Amino acid sequence: MNRVAAVVLAIVGLAIGILGVGVLREATLSTHDAIRPGSQVELLIEGDVNQNERTQTLAEMVEAQVLVCRLEVKSDLVGEIEERDDGSFRALLAPGLDETDRRQFRGCLEDWVIDGVRLDVIALNTLPS
Amino acid sequence: MKIIAWLAGVGTLIASGGYMVVSLNRWEWNRALFFGLIFLIAEVALATALILRRLTRLEGRFDPAVEGIIRATRPPARDRFAWLNESAQNSNVFITFIVGGGIILSGIAWLVDRIAAGTTTPAGEQKLASALAPISYPRGGLLLDDITVLAQEVPGADDRQIRKLLRRAGHTS
Repeated sequence: MNRVAAVVLAIVGLAIGILGVGVLREATLSTHDAIRPGSQVELLIEGDVNQNERTQTLAEMVEAQVLVCRLEVKSDLVGEIEERDDGSFRALLAPGLDETDRRQFRGCLEDWVIDGVRLDVIALNTLPS
Repeated sequence: MKIIAWLAGVGTLIASGGYMVVSLNRWEWNRALFFGLIFLIAEVALATALILRRLTRLEGRFDPAVEGIIRATRPPARDRFAWLNESAQNSNVFITFIVGGGIILSGIAWLVDRIAAGTTTPAGEQKLASALAPISYPRGGLLLDDITVLAQEVPGADDRQIRKLLRRAGHTS
């Protein structure tokens, strides 16, 4: 490999690195928008537990993780978390979530927050107020 | 076997790095930390393997004949403690230093002990006590007796410290 090719490769690598870090920075930066008062968000999740304590049910685990994760955003739970017939769970949160909060909330729910609990967010719908 | 190990290492590095970026992008911090840790482990392992491979190659390049010549012409190492190897029958500087130093240190310690003992005679202690008498506690303690309290009621009597003590005791005069 001659010298020119090495320099060009180094420049390309540096540019890709800088671009990648910039994109990641934008993706993980909190930029909050104004939320319409009275708006609500419907959360649909399904969960799975692995090697949990016998006395702890999936519903309890789901509730615990949702309660932990809603502390990271401005919304609060409205009512109880409902367990649906298909095994998924439904919860309402108010006020609504802006784009950053939405990503943060979804990320927290799908992250490894509680040992042995894995949640998948099926939908995070903004309800018309 | 080596190829499999190298592929596993590189694969782990790429996969963990990719998952780390994806997890960061999804705001999944615990997952990102975990994959970052795996990435770091794979990186350190690969770097160590590369360095070891380079060292092995360097070792393989040595010509045994040249190595033998280098070893043969190497100057002898200086034995800086050769004097310690002398037999005990000869007079040894090291032992002389140890014994002589011990005697001198013992003499200094004895002298310091004598001087320190001379500073604590009974007469000296009495002098010290009399010198510290002005700042000693009063014989009756810090509580005020009735006479002193009544004396404060006399017009013109004004002792700030006693008034302070009286205020603390609840006297309002």
